[in-house]
This record gives sequence, C-alpha cells and structure tokens, in this order.
Amino acid sequence: MNIGEVLLNLWESSGLYALFGADGWKNLIMILVSFVFLYLAIKKKFEPLLLVPIAFGILLANLPGSQIMTDTVGLTDTTVSTAAAEAAGAHWYESGVLRLLYTGVKSSIFPCLIFLGIGAMTDFGPLLSNPVSLLLGSAAQLGIYIAFLLAIAFGFTGPEAASIGIIGGADGPTSIFVTTMLAPNLLAPIALAAYSYMALIPIIQPPIMKALTTEKERKVKMTQLKKVSKTEKIIFPIFVLVVSALILPDVIPLLGMLMLGNLFKECGVTDRLSDTAQNALTNIVTIMLGLCVGATANGKDFLTVKTIEIVILGLVAFIFSTVGGVLFGKLLYALTKGKINPLIGSAGVSAVPMAARVSQKVGSQYDPTNFLLMHAMGPNVAGVIGSAVAAGFLLSLFG
Amino acid sequence: MNHLFLVTDVLQQFSTKGEKLIQGLKFSLVGFLVVFLALAILAIFIKIVDKIFVAKKAKKNAAETDKKESEASAPAEHVSIKKEGTPLPDTESEGELSLVNVDDETAAVIMAIVADRSGIPLNRLEFKSIRLLEDK
Repeated sequence: MNIGEVLLNLWESSGLYALFGADGWKNLIMILVSFVFLYLAIKKKFEPLLLVPIAFGILLANLPGSQIMTDTVGLTDTTVSTAAAEAAGAHWYESGVLRLLYTGVKSSIFPCLIFLGIGAMTDFGPLLSNPVSLLLGSAAQLGIYIAFLLAIAFGFTGPEAASIGIIGGADGPTSIFVTTMLAPNLLAPIALAAYSYMALIPIIQPPIMKALTTEKERKVKMTQLKKVSKTEKIIFPIFVLVVSALILPDVIPLLGMLMLGNLFKECGVTDRLSDTAQNALTNIVTIMLGLCVGATANGKDFLTVKTIEIVILGLVAFIFSTVGGVLFGKLLYALTKGKINPLIGSAGVSAVPMAARVSQKVGSQYDPTNFLLMHAMGPNVAGVIGSAVAAGFLLSLFG
Repeated sequence: MNHLFLVTDVLQQFSTKGEKLIQGLKFSLVGFLVVFLALAILAIFIKIVDKIFVAKKAKKNAAETDKKESEASAPAEHVSIKKEGTPLPDTESEGELSLVNVDDETAAVIMAIVADRSGIPLNRLEFKSIRLLEDK
C-alpha cells in the first residue's frame, strides 16, 4: 500500500468525506439547524432547558459516522426485523445509547413522567380563583382543529392529521403521547416541531397578540385574585381526573400523572415526593427526552417533503391557537366591560409557563406597572387540561 | 404502547378529499365543543365548590361573632378597651366597678396585671366587674 492509498483510505473513512458524500448535505443542514437552535437557546435564552438538549441531540445524530441512534434489534425502528437481527446474534444493548433511551419516548414513559413533574410544579390557584380561565384554555385549542383540517387537505391520513393537529396544543408530552399511538412514523418531525415551537413561543406569539388587540385592551389592569383554600386545591385535581376519565378514558395516563403530581404538591404530606417530581425527576427526564427528540432528526430520514409540511402545519397550529385564545379574551373583555385583559388569552395554548410569561411581557411593554403573570397562569394551566382533553377526543376518534 | 392501540382511520371510507374535509370539519366542531364543554363543567364545579366554601366560612364567622357577643355579655370579669372619647390622664380613673368577693387590693393587682399583659394603659381600659369564682 503506497502513501497515496493510505491517504485516500484516511480521507474516505473521515467524517468530512461522509459529510460531502451522498445525502451528507442533509446532515450538514441539520447540523446548521442545531447551531441556530443553540444560538437561540444560549444567546437569546429561548427556553434553554428544552432547546439546548434538543439542539445537542440533533447535532449528535447528524455528526458523520454517528452510531448514537443505531437500532440493532428493532427496538423502536420498525424497519429493522427483530427476529432476523436476533437470529444473527445481535443484542439490544449493542444499540446506540440514545436509541436505548428513545424507548422511553416511544413507550410514552417520558411524556407521562414529564406530566407528573408539570403537575407538581403547577399552582391551580389562579385558575380556581378565576374559573373563566378554563374557557380561555379551551378557546386556545383552536389551532389543533385548524391544523387537523389542513393536514387532511395536504393528503395526510386521519390519524396522521390528528397527530399533526395536536401540535397546536403547544404541549410536547401530549404531542408525543398522541403521535406514538396514532402515527408513530411521524414521531420525529412532530415531536421536534412541537418542542421547537414551544421554545419559540416568545417569537411567535407577540406579533399576533399585538395585531389582534388595541392599546386600550393591552393596558387593562385586572383585579387581584382571591385566595383559594387548601381544601379546594386538594379536591380539584381529583375531581378533574375523575370527570375527564368519565368523559374520555384515553386521557387517564396523561391527566392521571398530571393530577398525581399536583396532589403531591397540594396535599401537604408528600413534600419529598413533590420536590423530587418538580426538580430531580423532571430535570432527568427533560435531558433524556430533549436529547432523544433531537436525535430523531437525522437529516437523511428527516429532510423530506412530509417533514416540511408538518413544520409548516405546526406553525399554523400554534398561530391559530394563539388567535383563538386572544379572540376569546377579547370576547370576555367585552362581556365583562373591560375587566379582563385579552392578552392573557394567548397563555391558553398551554406551554407552561412560557406562554404566561409572554402575556406578562407584552402587557408590561404597554404599562410597566401591569402584572398579568398570575392572571395568565389560569388560562395557561387550563390549556394543559384542554390539550389533554382534545388529545383524548382524537384518540377516541381514531382508536 | 402503540402495538396495543388499534388505529382506525375513520376518514378512509370517504373517497374524495372534499368529503374527507367535510367530515374532518364535523369532527373538528365536535372536538372543539367537547373540550369547551369539559372545561365548562370544571368551571361550574369550581364555582359550586367556591360557593360552598364561602357559605361555610360565613357560617363559621357568624358563629364566632355570636360566641364573642355572648362572652361579652357574661357577668364574669369583663374587660374592654375604652374606645370612646379621649383617654383619661395616667393618674385618673372614673366609672363604677363591681367587686364580688374580691377586696380592693386584689382588684388593683388584677387590673395592673391585665394592663401590663395586654400592653394597654389603665386609663384606656374599662373594668365592669371582678368576681371570685367558686371552686367546684
């Protein structure tokens, strides 16, 4: 072997060769996308807790020669025959490390555990002291159905359209939960779109909120919320679960975990469990979920026309959910003779607490003494329940 | 989980895209209504529970007020803060005090202790009666 052949072999085995080979440009695009996401997360601080693991997952999966999502025995990759792989002596533990973790996404364990943490972090007090928030939370699910219809128009099947529509619930765990059941083939683009748009809520929502409201409406100061008793806070999660389960049993895994987490927080006798669910557990699952969701975006399989359509429909879903919430907020503003600030309607899209923070931020731009955060938390947590109920409806429709 | 979940595309029975869209629109309207009604039920429940708690609290407050009033009208030792008019000078006192089986010296000590413990000067306190309770 002469020096020329050695150098050629070295070049052909390098990552650069793979990157500029067939389809390598797709990985290159995804690597650039991951850099943009990292920039937005670190420099612009757009939900860094979500966006950093997602962006890094994209980077890991698209680096040339990366084996991080290899599926040796068809753990979650349906294109791999488990029987044939096992007959050939392959073992599950030889799969890529993120592929092993990905089973937590595919089995819906991670979404449910995230809901447990969200429940433990959620204070339903603002919602209990202003029950009309619940209606704002339902109006802000409009985008789900608009995207569902548009997806049908784009030629997606009913279950696929339902999975795409649920992106409008602005709830990552719910999107994953529904998609794993209805359209597992679309899990990667849907999960990525849902989480990316959740992280980009501070960019997506403000222009819509400003376009649909007048300055007078944006400056409305809402009256202080009344105090809610501890007993009410304990009864609420149990009642919500029972009522929702009686109407739509398919939502039990998600709402069950959400309300269990909330009961940990409110009952006052499980402080240690509440603390674990809120902090350690949620942080661990967020790292694994974020990395896995990002790692599903391998350029070679990910950059397809369908993915682009899903990304567009996801954005449409987010926009219309925001529109639904703000317009219903305007209706309540009119009905209550100016007592409700329509800006809190946009928080009904779920995405706790990012959407509520956006309401606060936009409101304070027009009146720095206006504190809408706690008022926006009502529709915000109502949105979580609303998107879970919408998910239950879609599951019962196509299940 | 998806292996156990049987997916049925209910839109598949419609052949044209137009029919699928019309059916999809119907599903969307029903779905939106279901979410709205489910959350409206929860809102009504919250209102009802709130009303129950408010009524319960009002009842409790009323009971406490009655208790205080009945204590105030009891013939036993009675102390109240003098609210009306200007306080008397530190060295002066006025009004009548009924002493039942209590000598003047003990009454003075009791009044001094009450003033000391409550932090209210004697010239702002009004004592109506001091009575020795019999051992039972």
